[in-house]
Amino acid sequence: MLILKPKFEFDVSVEAELTPELAEKSLEEIKNFRVWYGKFEKTLGELFDVQKEGDGKKLLLDGDFSKVKWVGSGMDDGEIVIKGNIGANCGAYMKGGRITIEGNADDWLGAEMKGGEIIVNGNAKNLIGCAYYGNPSGMQGGKILIEGDAGNYIGEKMAGGTIEIKGNAGDFIGTEMKGGEIIIHGDCGYAGGDMKSGTIKIGGEFDLLPTFRKSEDGWTGDILVGGEGKILKI
Amino acid sequence: MLWIKNGIVIDPKNKVDGEKMDVFIKDGKIVDESEVNKEECKVIDANNKLVVAGGVEMHAHIAGSKINVGRTMRPEEMRIVRHTANKLRVSLGRVLLTSPAIGYEYAKIGYTTAVEAASPPIGSPHTHEELDAIPIVDKAMLPVFGNWHFVFKYVAEKDREKLKAFIAWAIERTKGYGVKVVNPGGVEAWMYGGNVKNLEDEVPNWGVTPKEIITELVKSNEELDLPHSVHLHCNNLGNPGNYQTTIETMKLVSGLANKKRQTLHVTHVQFNAYAGSSWRDVASGAEEIAKVVNSMDNVTIDMGQAIFGHATAMTGDAPFQFTLHKLTGSRWVNKDSEIEGGAGIVPIVYLPKNPVHALQWAIGLELGLLVDSDKVVLTTDYPNGGPFTEYPYVMAMLMSRKMREKELERVSPYVQKATSLPAIEVEKTLYDVIQMTRSLPARVMGMENKGHLGIGADADVAIYSINPDDVDPAAQYELINSEFRKPVYTIKGGEIVVKDGAVVAESWGRTFWVDARKKVSLESIDEDLNSFFSSYYTIQRKNYGIQEEWLRNPVRVEVN
Ligand SMILES: [Zn+2]
Repeated sequence: MLILKPKFEFDVSVEAELTPELAEKSLEEIKNFRVWYGKFEKTLGELFDVQKEGDGKKLLLDGDFSKVKWVGSGMDDGEIVIKGNIGANCGAYMKGGRITIEGNADDWLGAEMKGGEIIVNGNAKNLIGCAYYGNPSGMQGGKILIEGDAGNYIGEKMAGGTIEIKGNAGDFIGTEMKGGEIIIHGDCGYAGGDMKSGTIKIGGEFDLLPTFRKSEDGWTGDILVGGEGKILKI
Repeated sequence: MLWIKNGIVIDPKNKVDGEKMDVFIKDGKIVDESEVNKEECKVIDANNKLVVAGGVEMHAHIAGSKINVGRTMRPEEMRIVRHTANKLRVSLGRVLLTSPAIGYEYAKIGYTTAVEAASPPIGSPHTHEELDAIPIVDKAMLPVFGNWHFVFKYVAEKDREKLKAFIAWAIERTKGYGVKVVNPGGVEAWMYGGNVKNLEDEVPNWGVTPKEIITELVKSNEELDLPHSVHLHCNNLGNPGNYQTTIETMKLVSGLANKKRQTLHVTHVQFNAYAGSSWRDVASGAEEIAKVVNSMDNVTIDMGQAIFGHATAMTGDAPFQFTLHKLTGSRWVNKDSEIEGGAGIVPIVYLPKNPVHALQWAIGLELGLLVDSDKVVLTTDYPNGGPFTEYPYVMAMLMSRKMREKELERVSPYVQKATSLPAIEVEKTLYDVIQMTRSLPARVMGMENKGHLGIGADADVAIYSINPDDVDPAAQYELINSEFRKPVYTIKGGEIVVKDGAVVAESWGRTFWVDARKKVSLESIDEDLNSFFSSYYTIQRKNYGIQEEWLRNPVRVEVN
């Protein structure tokens, strides 16, 4: 296991594509791992206290990581535990393994992820499981669970996998969704715009677009794009 | 002063085919040995290396509103970093490159001149600003005429003198280089939701046909004796069965002659060479087109080769872009520019296993192989058919049947029955491909100092680690494909800009524009201009176009 603690409070964002494989490297290599601090290229050792316990594929991020972006980007195995908050793009392009965030997550959590699991004990912001601008598909597999609330644009262009939000969410849920499942236990705003396929299950109140038809167990649409997506009440 | 020593030169314009010789450069020009002081020369050892003129791109979309809107609508393109800023500027892009990237990437494959093939005239100030942001290469741009209301009016009135005056006025105002025509009449028809299908279809409200527009523009262009011929994107582009329209169009210029160049250049013909009646039975019409082109001495074409992978369709052919958007379900932007024409943009990915894409890929190659090497220019219609950075791949494919056989294994078997590509035995030589990428495009554009290494030519030179005496391109296609991607040197205007495939210096090219005002009476169209501007334009006539002094490095080419 590798334990990282910020050495000081970051003024600007840190771009650090930290994956569990890092824990298997030598302490020397880990400390020399290159990250960006604003426009400056730095080593991990310059920004964080680095401690290593055994060789397990696990990262423990201890402290405030809310300005640290791209943690777990593209990871395919192992585990990351974040004791505090985490910055944007956490778990983007993730293929496997597990990320647990004990605090809150920022935007683009699990963007375009293909597999693995992300659990957030607090809240998450916007664009969970989304496609990056211009790309055809968002999340394609895996699971994201948010215990608290989430923001807008959840699962845009989502094509597979599951996003479950225990609290409330914002507007534009599952826009251009092509597959997979979004479950929101609380309330949310407009759901399913230009949805082609997949399922959105909502426990609380939500806004329905006029482009959905009533079906046996809920609504189907978005008919504007000839879609066959399902919005169900739970 | 530069002394390129012992290189093996291929220079088709001057009929040099693999001769060991020296090339001397002084003040940005190729000069005779007697003009340099050898002691003061920087010597480049080109022993056993291929020395050719810098490549000439005669049809690509590299500046102006289309590519810029394309960049805006495709943020995903900007995630590929090609060059981080150091002494050069940062350059980005996968297929839709940023302006610096365009200049660097051309230089990195040994190209030193590039022509923007379609600019909306009213957008010309912007087009030139973008051209001015492209480093290294020399540039020119072609404003589009085929759907301009002035053109319809003068064609309808059969007033060729006024049409000529208008062309001269418009080219001067836009600092353009020649007459580009895109789907003549069709883009106007699109404003009413339609298109023109045949050369005889009437343009709504104008009572003129594509045939009349093309013929009158070609005749006017020839009477003005502009350096370049009419540069035509045919009607019916992208539709099965369109090869017949293309052939009929080419035949419109039979009997017209020009000693220096063609009288009609038909562009990206791959997109206009489809037989069949629908996408279900679409096939190649390339053989028929090749026969016609080879039989005519006043028509040239370029390939519009499709490259597998990412591309972006962008053309002034607005109705076609809508069709493509409907066909692919991909994002779509359309533009209408005053009374001058329109344009559209649609992202596309060419997939080898997709029968239609494989067909497009095969048709481009058929054209490149079956048309004589002094009549077909290598292009991808960047970024429509794919990136120009893949020219080395196309060059290698043209030279090696073995490589084509290998590639055919990974494409849809549909091409086996719908094209003649698998049966084509032609293997172009190094001389042929140098002709198709240097001397021919320069001649097509009427750029006398480009595309060759004769005395007086611009000192644009590319040196590749290919020994023509030693290499068998048909067998060593991998070497051809890789070495044409990394010239040992690219020299632009006498300055070394690329060494061992990497950009080492940033220079600034020139922008050529054509001034034919002396040959016409501008007064004859004065009233018409005033009346159209006050009635239909959103800007005043005095604000229209661009002044020469606003250009970074203009070269006025006067037609007398
Ligand atoms: Zn084009």
